[in-house]
Amino acid sequence: MPKSLFVDPAEVRASGKVTFNEIPVNQYNKTVAEELASGKYTKEDLIRIFRDMTILREFETMLNLIKTQGSYNGIDHTYPGPAHLSAGQEAACVGQAYLLDENDFAFGSHRSHSEILAKALSTINKMTDEQLMGVMEGFLEGKCLRATEKLGECRDVKELAIRFILYGTLSEIFARETGFHMGMGGSMHAFFLPFGIYPNNAIVGGSGTISTGSALYKKINNKKGIVVCNIGDASMARGPVWEAMNFAAMDQYKTLWESHTDGMPILYNIFNNSYGMGDQTRGETMGQGNMSRIASGISPTQFHAETVDGFNPLAVINAMERKLELLRSGQGPVMMETVTYRFSGHSVSDQNAYRTKEEVDAWREVDPIATYPASLIEAGVMTREEVDAILAETSERMTMICKAAADPAISPYCDFRKDPAVVERLMFSNQKVEKFDDREPEVLCPKEEAEGYKKIKSKSRSPIGPDGKPVSKMKLYNLRDALSEVIYDRFYEDPTLVAYGEDCRDWGGAFAVYRGMMDALPHCRLFNSPLAEGAIVGTAVGYALSGGRALVELMYADFIGCAGDEIFNQMSKWQAMSAGILKMPLVLRVSVGSKYGAQHSQDWTALCAHIPGLKVCFPATPWEAKGLMETALKGTDPVVFFESQRLYDVGEQFHEGGVPEERYEINIGDTNTVRQGKDITIITIGAALYRAVDAAKTLSEKYGMEAEIINIHSLVPLDYSKIVESVKKTGKVVLVSDACARGSFLKDVAQNITELCFDDLDAPPVVVGARNWITPPFEFDPYFFPQADWLLDAIHEKILPLPGYVPADGCTETEQLRRAKLGV
Amino acid sequence: MANAVIMPKAGITVESCIIGNWQKKVGDAVKLGDVLFTYETDKASFECESTAEGQLLEIFFQDGDEVPCLMNVCAVGDPGEDVASLRPDGAPAAEEAPAAAPAAGTAAAAPAVSVAAAPAGSDASVSPRARKLAEIAGVDAVLAAGTGPNGRVIERDVRRLMEEGVPAAAETAPAAAPVAVAAAEAEYEDVKFSGIRRAISKSMKGSLSSMAQLTHNFTFDAAAILNYRKALKAAGGELAGITLGDIILYAVSRTVLSCPDLNAHMLDDNNIRLFKHVNLGVAVDTPRGLMVPTIFRADEKSLLEISREVKELAAACRTGAISPDKLSGASFTVSNLGSFGVESFTPVINPPQTGIIGVCTTVDRPRKAADGGIELYPAMALSLTYDHRAVDGAPASRMMQELCRNLESFTTLLAK
Repeated sequence: MPKSLFVDPAEVRASGKVTFNEIPVNQYNKTVAEELASGKYTKEDLIRIFRDMTILREFETMLNLIKTQGSYNGIDHTYPGPAHLSAGQEAACVGQAYLLDENDFAFGSHRSHSEILAKALSTINKMTDEQLMGVMEGFLEGKCLRATEKLGECRDVKELAIRFILYGTLSEIFARETGFHMGMGGSMHAFFLPFGIYPNNAIVGGSGTISTGSALYKKINNKKGIVVCNIGDASMARGPVWEAMNFAAMDQYKTLWESHTDGMPILYNIFNNSYGMGDQTRGETMGQGNMSRIASGISPTQFHAETVDGFNPLAVINAMERKLELLRSGQGPVMMETVTYRFSGHSVSDQNAYRTKEEVDAWREVDPIATYPASLIEAGVMTREEVDAILAETSERMTMICKAAADPAISPYCDFRKDPAVVERLMFSNQKVEKFDDREPEVLCPKEEAEGYKKIKSKSRSPIGPDGKPVSKMKLYNLRDALSEVIYDRFYEDPTLVAYGEDCRDWGGAFAVYRGMMDALPHCRLFNSPLAEGAIVGTAVGYALSGGRALVELMYADFIGCAGDEIFNQMSKWQAMSAGILKMPLVLRVSVGSKYGAQHSQDWTALCAHIPGLKVCFPATPWEAKGLMETALKGTDPVVFFESQRLYDVGEQFHEGGVPEERYEINIGDTNTVRQGKDITIITIGAALYRAVDAAKTLSEKYGMEAEIINIHSLVPLDYSKIVESVKKTGKVVLVSDACARGSFLKDVAQNITELCFDDLDAPPVVVGARNWITPPFEFDPYFFPQADWLLDAIHEKILPLPGYVPADGCTETEQLRRAKLGV
Repeated sequence: MANAVIMPKAGITVESCIIGNWQKKVGDAVKLGDVLFTYETDKASFECESTAEGQLLEIFFQDGDEVPCLMNVCAVGDPGEDVASLRPDGAPAAEEAPAAAPAAGTAAAAPAVSVAAAPAGSDASVSPRARKLAEIAGVDAVLAAGTGPNGRVIERDVRRLMEEGVPAAAETAPAAAPVAVAAAEAEYEDVKFSGIRRAISKSMKGSLSSMAQLTHNFTFDAAAILNYRKALKAAGGELAGITLGDIILYAVSRTVLSCPDLNAHMLDDNNIRLFKHVNLGVAVDTPRGLMVPTIFRADEKSLLEISREVKELAAACRTGAISPDKLSGASFTVSNLGSFGVESFTPVINPPQTGIIGVCTTVDRPRKAADGGIELYPAMALSLTYDHRAVDGAPASRMMQELCRNLESFTTLLAK
């Protein structure tokens, strides 16, 4: 909603037509002889293309035999993991990779062995020996190279590199410590950054948003190269993929992005093999016919889409040449549909119940592994003997690689018995990085001159002014200011920091955390995203793993569901699945609503805390908010940062002296004891803290009990020491948050307290949460969300009867059982 | 057919156990895993879970009875089943057991279904915190009047019990009934020994009946250690916690090896095992009776380390958390009754050890001063009991003389 763009009714309402350009389909028609004559290829180039195809095919043949027969060329091995083979897709992959180098990033799918190897072989061909040795020596401290060297004498560095990439990929698939990611990624998550091979993804279409985020990283940070998003035909049915393409096509890059008006440097390449798993996308489960049609629904440029014959490597190279030219001249994004076919099933357990033998045979008739060398022989590029020699060499090399990768002496598994913490150490990187690039941060004015920043600095840090009187709400430094202050500071330090989300810029964020920041930051650092949560989080994942720092926002925590895969499978998993090679400096802000009903008021901390690999914070005071955001925005781990809409306006009531002017960090995992007491412990999360404070006041004034209140501002990780110490002291504990009680995070805390403090407990830990209902309208808040007297009820009925107290609402055991039985 | 539940074997060396309390009574419905009764060895207390399902038909042994391991303890089965074949030899039949008679009678008369459904009634719930406190304080938490939700006994109830004693209401409460009734009818009370008491009884009797024990009494000038203790107190911190008892333990650990036969175990009448290090037993008074944990290799530990360890061991003994490993293996023992004002006593050796020192109180004694006048000095008494089979009087006395000298010039000993 930028004011600079006028939505003109005359224009919008004017009569006219939407027109489309024709989309070329399989237009390439040159022969090998013609290509040779044109001088585009040498004979060696054409032969190398064939050699690369044989390496890809042999790799998948080997895996198929290992999976189905437990044996390949006399090597017996059992491999229980996945094998989604791409036999048949070699020409498409080699063709795509032919012109790419290490600065071009390629992302893939669950069926990406061929893509990985093709990209690697192409890159190896372009790099010098010195570069290659540098890469191999530098990767995992040369561990992978040392294992490769055990394979024996090698004629040159390029051959060594080929062995290296085959061995690293296969040991990764075989779950060996010598794999590219210690086996933690495996077949569907293999990649190799030094050659520009970025993560493949076991979630259909998972790379759609991530690769777009990677392109965003290149665009904003002026990095060399382009990004290829390889996805299958079936993934085009998935919402996040559409969201990503729309994200890449946003008009604002041209209309608003000042110095960065180039189009997104991304190629969406759909390897269309006509099948999802067994579902046929062509004719059954989808309706586009040619996938290249899709971009016409996204952008007037139609992403310059075309369909190319992926059974002819030269046709693919020809198309790639044109696409790269568009991308390098700033006219991205572009799209290709590469028609291909997989001879193997979806996986090796596939019975091929969905297609006929005739169909498979018809495609085998035109199998490029046979037709392409035939065309080379026909054009006089090579002889049958030379073809056979390449096939023999490929088979021999593959046998050697397979033998080594299957041999535990050369390729050991991670020893979980000796080192049970092997995965534990990979879950978080726990680093602190001030900035991810050394260049000057792009800003519109010095920080000290930014109006918004000045305003924050002028506010009172404590709710009581120097005159001893309460500070007015407008002058009080509140939780919102605490967040803004840190975000300003970090924007001026880390040039790669980018913030986006729904209405972040002109509106200042729905809850005004970014208010005024648009005057200090160009669009390329703070912009409005489409209302597409999958794209918001998924692109941020891609941005972060490519080397930048991302801060993105979902307006309401309830929208987490719309970004479920991106948060739960992508943001959380890549650090460990890459064995620590990827970092995920990504902070996802979500706000817990109030007043807006059932789909805008939920505290979903438990969902995020449940997923391994995410850090989860929920500050409830300005002091906590400032310190935690500072830590999160300097860290290298993914943090889901919950904020409560009830608390944006609160000042600091607990920390002595209010919120410090100077910068400080709060360790994610600490707890905040906001009130000391000896009689009962109250554990809080989020806005419920303030109701707990009210309850503590009543306990003290009416019942002579002093409550100790500990606020959990960090759910994951969480240091229990102060909680345990307090509960051991008081013997009584009640836990409260606004999350629906069933399965809430506090239930987990209560369970841990029971185990850790059992002999010191004078009563069971009692969790007071919201009802297990929809959130009714705001007017009924006191019936749904925990109130101070709910805490007193719980204490009276389950922990310690309070003399003369009459409970308002039943939290008796009978009620508890009844509600559980009804599921409410 | 009815099944027997046997007394579990609580350890490889355990031959019999004492039944603590029955948690079920005859006629109660019993499920697999229900706790039938508690039982104890001389080291620990356990719960016996039912290995059969049905009604508790007959109990062969009562609270406090010692039962050999693996012997049938009770019978569980369908109401009316004959349990004669399950009764262990010598166990009285149900009708002969006076204590169980009323309950058994009721069970036999009442229809099985209604008995099975009846709640236990007497098992008041006690919070873990209250239970722990009661255990440390040596009171029975069940006797407290529960004021928690649903009458649960919580911490404050045990504290009240400790301060005010058994509340009137509890004395007539079902849980306390058997004890209360017995006390009302007789002028005395017969109490079965707890496991620990039994262990003490056996060990002490064995000691005096099998050894040739005699005791020598010594006194020494305690001025040096009293002054040193004052200095420690003034130093503050952890050092302030070092007691006179700790100082004596330290001195013993550094002296007793001068008479190796005293730091030894009598293996039989012909053999003795001499220890190279001093594993010092320390007598501790606990709510459940005397316990003697061991400071292993005390001769290698500093005064502070010894002090620290004594405190930890004593606390563990009092809470019952002491590891059984720490309750054996001592090569020599020190028992301190000084704080009770005991001036001299005959400590009893803990077999198979060959000696024990009793620490007595300090009294002011007169002596001839350097100037020929009379002065008072603080005299502390030590009593050594030794096994004359292993040690003769002269070497034993020489060790004691050296110990007194070491204590009289304690700082010199510390410097060694």
